[in-house]
Amino acid sequence: MRKTLIFALSVGLMGGTALAQEQRWDGADDLPVNPLDCAGAPGEVAAKPYDGGQPNNPPDLAGKELVLVDVPKLIGIGYFNATSKGMQLAADELGNVKVTTDGPTKANIDEQITFIDNFITRGVHGVLFAANDPVAIAPVLKKALDKGIHVIGYDANAQPDAREWFVNQAEFNGIGKALIDNMAAEIGEDGSFAIVTSTFTTPNQARWIAEMWAYQQKCHPNMKWLETVEAQEDNILSFNQATTLINKYGPELNGLFGMTSVATPASAEAVTQAGKCGEVAVVGLATPNGMRPYVQSGCVKSVVLWNPVDLGYAAVHVARAVADGKLKPGDTQVDAGKLGTLPVVNGSEILLGPPFVYNMDNIDEFDF
Amino acid sequence: MATADPRAAMPGRLHGLMLRHEMVLAAILVAALFVLSLQTDRFLTTDNLLNQGRLMAEIGLIALPMTYIIITAGIDLSVGSIMGLCAIMLGYGWKNLGLPLELSIALSLLIGTIAGAVNGWFITRVRVPPLIMTLATLALYRGLAEGISQARSVRGYPDWFFVLGQGELLGVPTQLWLLLVATVVAAVVLARTSFGRMLYAIGSNETAARFSGLPVDRCKIAIYALSGFTAGLAAWIFVSRVSTTRSDMGTGVELDVIAAVVLGGTSIFGGTGTILGTALGVVLVQLLKNGLALTGVKGDATIVVIGSVLILSILVSNWLRARRGVD
Repeated sequence: MRKTLIFALSVGLMGGTALAQEQRWDGADDLPVNPLDCAGAPGEVAAKPYDGGQPNNPPDLAGKELVLVDVPKLIGIGYFNATSKGMQLAADELGNVKVTTDGPTKANIDEQITFIDNFITRGVHGVLFAANDPVAIAPVLKKALDKGIHVIGYDANAQPDAREWFVNQAEFNGIGKALIDNMAAEIGEDGSFAIVTSTFTTPNQARWIAEMWAYQQKCHPNMKWLETVEAQEDNILSFNQATTLINKYGPELNGLFGMTSVATPASAEAVTQAGKCGEVAVVGLATPNGMRPYVQSGCVKSVVLWNPVDLGYAAVHVARAVADGKLKPGDTQVDAGKLGTLPVVNGSEILLGPPFVYNMDNIDEFDF
Repeated sequence: MATADPRAAMPGRLHGLMLRHEMVLAAILVAALFVLSLQTDRFLTTDNLLNQGRLMAEIGLIALPMTYIIITAGIDLSVGSIMGLCAIMLGYGWKNLGLPLELSIALSLLIGTIAGAVNGWFITRVRVPPLIMTLATLALYRGLAEGISQARSVRGYPDWFFVLGQGELLGVPTQLWLLLVATVVAAVVLARTSFGRMLYAIGSNETAARFSGLPVDRCKIAIYALSGFTAGLAAWIFVSRVSTTRSDMGTGVELDVIAAVVLGGTSIFGGTGTILGTALGVVLVQLLKNGLALTGVKGDATIVVIGSVLILSILVSNWLRARRGVD
């Protein structure tokens, strides 16, 4: 039923041109794709009316001290320590912003709601959040808006009408481009590669593979897709699947994509243990901590993700711009300090920019 | 010997009043209210207190049958998982099975009751210790919830559904009324009925209770079923409050509930405990969490304070009991 719906939807969206479209690769979804320009020019921003919510009579804070709280999914892990570090950085730089981070010690939506609720009572000017659940968090965020508090999301979105803006760390087509470009740089324009993903129907991974496929068709047409294998998000299964691919294709296999933060290090481990470092390139989405040994040994050259420090930094700049009246519904860009101007996409989202590539030179600066 | 009795050092009336665990708790609660209200003017406001009432309704409800269960020297670790299972069944019945929402709510309450009764049946008939049995169903029911939901959440409930979790009645959150009524009923049943006295009898000496001809097994199945039903009720309130269902709802609730009950003076070995104590325990934990958050204490430090209060209150209570010479 769901598949039929998605199919009908995608056919409807793509209209007549869809009929001419080839079969997509295994593990890609059927949604419309939007490959970026090969040269790296920013993608076209689809115009969409502002769909966020608005606070009820917020106090005029232009140029005045701004008190923000940051409620991430959970505290005490490297990733959100990094976003919180970026927020402090922006606050220090701006001088008139105070931001404190506090939240649950487990990624628990119930506790996160209670934290935000308490902050509303305590009285703050703005709430920054990374939602544990987009719908469950909405009532408490709407309550904040109702009390005149600015609400900005980052990392994990809520329903659009429950917050003003959302800082989006990466769009699917941006990730697709970064992965394919880095692979092409390592294995050449006519290299062949295989993919280790979670499952063919996992939404994010399926979206990324569809965008990778579209971008490869457009910009690196001679690269060859060998196979996509499913490995859940299981360490041992990912390792076994990657090893099977290495044995099955032998010298024909030039590169492996890891689509999850589990599959990428497991693929790197499989290549290392097979003694194929330098022959089989590994490119994928993963965290620096998981990939550090392979990057330092030189077996992996590029790990694609976003920079969480920049993500937190941008969120504070967005909050400041909103309070100062410099970012209003309908605006198309916002000034974000050292990150330059960031574009508004999807109505009420701010795009952090192209994904960040971790390599031997910068990986030691990150701990998450 | 009479001169060495510490009781002689204290006037009779004051002595009886001071030594009740509930009094110790109430004193701590008043002290905490006082200190916290000095720290921030946003704490002791009607708005904030009513809002805290809304947030503690689920824990408070589940704590009532938990008090019964712990009085009989049992424990129910599966309440959080039953809450998750009921939340999922509520959404699943409505969205996937196409039941009317009212029927789906009834179904989810029924499933909660059955889940609790299953605990009770195994504990009494198969003689599985309550700790082991409910530890097993803690995993089992959570697994069912995750399996049935397939990690998908159900949203888009009609407006009337949100009255329970987000609405107000006479200016007081709807679920707080429910909690108040349930607490009074639970207190009266425990203190004034033969059922209540039976719970104490089972907890004090189960063998003696059996030989006295009390229906021990039926009573135990009833309280575990009641616990499951209440967890289902809490799930309904929670889904209504946050407007979506997730399979991880209620994770860790069992620990909050048991902490509040034990803080309220119910002995984990059975035989003693009151609903008033449990209510004070629930309120104290909730207001401490809220007050500390409002004064700017971070989340991790707050749990440290809560843990310390729990230990302290039990130490004080034990010390007083030892002085009194009871037990």
